[in-house]
Amino acid sequence: MSQWLQQVIDGAQCDDYLAPVRQQALTQLKADGWPARRNESWRFTPLTSVEKREAKTATQADVLPVPAIDNLNAIDLVFVDGVLITQVNTLDVPKGMVITSLKHDDVATQQAISSIYGQIKPTRHMFGLVNDALCEHGIFISVEENAKIDTPVRIVNMATQNVDAHTRVVVKVAKGASATVIEQGVGDTDSLTTAFAEYDIADDAHLEHYRFAMFTAAAKQLGGSHFKLHSRSTLNSTMVGYGSDLSRLDVDIHHAGEFADAKMNAIYLLAEGELFDLHSTIEHAMPNGTTEENARGIVGDKARAVFNGRIHIHRDAQKTLAELNNRNLLLSRRGVINTKPELEIYADDVKCAHGATVAEIDEEALYYLLTRGVPRSKALVMLNFGFIQELVNDVPNSAIREWLQPLLSERFSQMEVK
Amino acid sequence: MLSIKNLHASVEEKNIIKGLNLEIKPGEVHAIMGPNGAGKSTLGYVLSGRDGYEVSEGDVTLNGKDLLDLEVEERAREGLFLAFQYPVEIPGVSNMEFMKESVNAMREERGEEALTAAEFLKKAKEACKQVQLPLDFLKRGVNEGFSGGEKKRNEIMQMILLEPSLCILDESDSGLDVDALQVVANGVNSQRDGKRSFIVVTHYQRLLDYIKPDFVHILADGKIVKSGDASLAHEVEKEGYAFLGKAYEEAEA
Repeated sequence: MSQWLQQVIDGAQCDDYLAPVRQQALTQLKADGWPARRNESWRFTPLTSVEKREAKTATQADVLPVPAIDNLNAIDLVFVDGVLITQVNTLDVPKGMVITSLKHDDVATQQAISSIYGQIKPTRHMFGLVNDALCEHGIFISVEENAKIDTPVRIVNMATQNVDAHTRVVVKVAKGASATVIEQGVGDTDSLTTAFAEYDIADDAHLEHYRFAMFTAAAKQLGGSHFKLHSRSTLNSTMVGYGSDLSRLDVDIHHAGEFADAKMNAIYLLAEGELFDLHSTIEHAMPNGTTEENARGIVGDKARAVFNGRIHIHRDAQKTLAELNNRNLLLSRRGVINTKPELEIYADDVKCAHGATVAEIDEEALYYLLTRGVPRSKALVMLNFGFIQELVNDVPNSAIREWLQPLLSERFSQMEVK
Repeated sequence: MLSIKNLHASVEEKNIIKGLNLEIKPGEVHAIMGPNGAGKSTLGYVLSGRDGYEVSEGDVTLNGKDLLDLEVEERAREGLFLAFQYPVEIPGVSNMEFMKESVNAMREERGEEALTAAEFLKKAKEACKQVQLPLDFLKRGVNEGFSGGEKKRNEIMQMILLEPSLCILDESDSGLDVDALQVVANGVNSQRDGKRSFIVVTHYQRLLDYIKPDFVHILADGKIVKSGDASLAHEVEKEGYAFLGKAYEEAEA
């Protein structure tokens, strides 16, 4: 058992309405122990920087301005070092949507939260269990039946101290409703953030989702976004990962109803010694579901990208249409990409495709552009950014698209080629 | 304007250029001829600064600047232009986007304002017209799906847009029929203004009927072994490279 995990277990308090889930999580953490190096889930992502860490959380935090996204006009919910600093009850929330803290005395609300908290996120995610047990500050977002909410809700996790932070988002999009939720993480301190979100998307509902895992440097993040799709519901998710000392994102999309449609685009741009690990699992449990997943990344310098994309098509999930594609560009000889698409199919009438590629810079094309005087950084963007740009162009929200475009090309042009 | 003194260069540790000297004054056209494997294309790559082409000895100055000290893109901005024998295809990058970036990099070097999209388009259209390239080639990926002749014309189109002070044409005649050759030559001749200098690398005398050189040099085994005026090219055409000795005849065969 690692020192950190032991302290987590010892420090957990299970005295609120979520106690049963918290207890269960603790029991499993004790039983599973610290993952061994050969553990497939952590094979390429060493946890040594967490193992001997002191488990310590912040009791208070400063109110800080959040990173701006022009013209987004979102409702911002802000956690600083794991502490919810937004006065949730003073928010101006559109009709048909309710936003509350997880700390809530109303029994009906508690029941609604309990029906999702720890129920959608699979229990195999160790840091998800830690979050189950320790999370004090969290948000519950509930969208009423048939409510079409245009105002995006943005949840920001900011790491400013050298502490652990455990935050949770629980979202219920009721029948026929639609909403946009953005999860964003920023910070560069010697922190550890477990930010987990669970989404229950009811029949005919639609969720537009974003996760911007933009922690850098020593800021460790071990988080996840987990979705349960009911009949005919749709999910359109875009994720961006920057990578830090340790950055791991687990995504689960569970097709629990027929004719659900999931689209997931992920982009990662990694520099220096950064690590970004994306594990996605798509469970097709019911017939006629569709999934399209595109993960694309660029790895420079000594960075490492880990991609594990699993599609599991259950026996009853006939007529499933699933595609998974991972494309990578390696800028440097010292960079590493571990990619593993997995298809597990138990139904016989399905259409599935998966693929993974790793490309290197086309030196001849680069030389050609340089002989015409094009600056090296611009030439690299022209040659290599197109496949990332395609995913940026695919972002449904125009404010986010316009924010990401310069942000990512700037980050790429600064990535050193060695 | 260009001065090459005792240049030695190697590729993958194989010596290709072995003590080459060449002086070019503004406005001059120098043809470099020679048998296959003499180092003709290598010279262009070395001067442009291509990775893997190592200079072990010698000096090269362009307009008084130490060329060998500069990066590939800096050499281009100093006015060096290399028209490739086999231009690379770059799908996904449009000719237009590429040339706009390129022209504006040159302008920035000269302390001029960047061109607006409209200003650039006007210039690009004129350049295309000069080499008889249809305008939709601007929108296509760089050299993507171009025929051999279209690639060569695209190179000359770039040269016209970039207004370099030294142009190296690496076998710009290879694979062209007479009409295409004429178009390429006209494009080049239109850029002769008494100041701009040219190195015309060619295997055959044919191109030199259209682009009249002031000097002709024979490159063999990494050195210039003979220099003369335009008549030297005719001599080579008639006699072949036999005067170089038996070894070269065998290399040719």
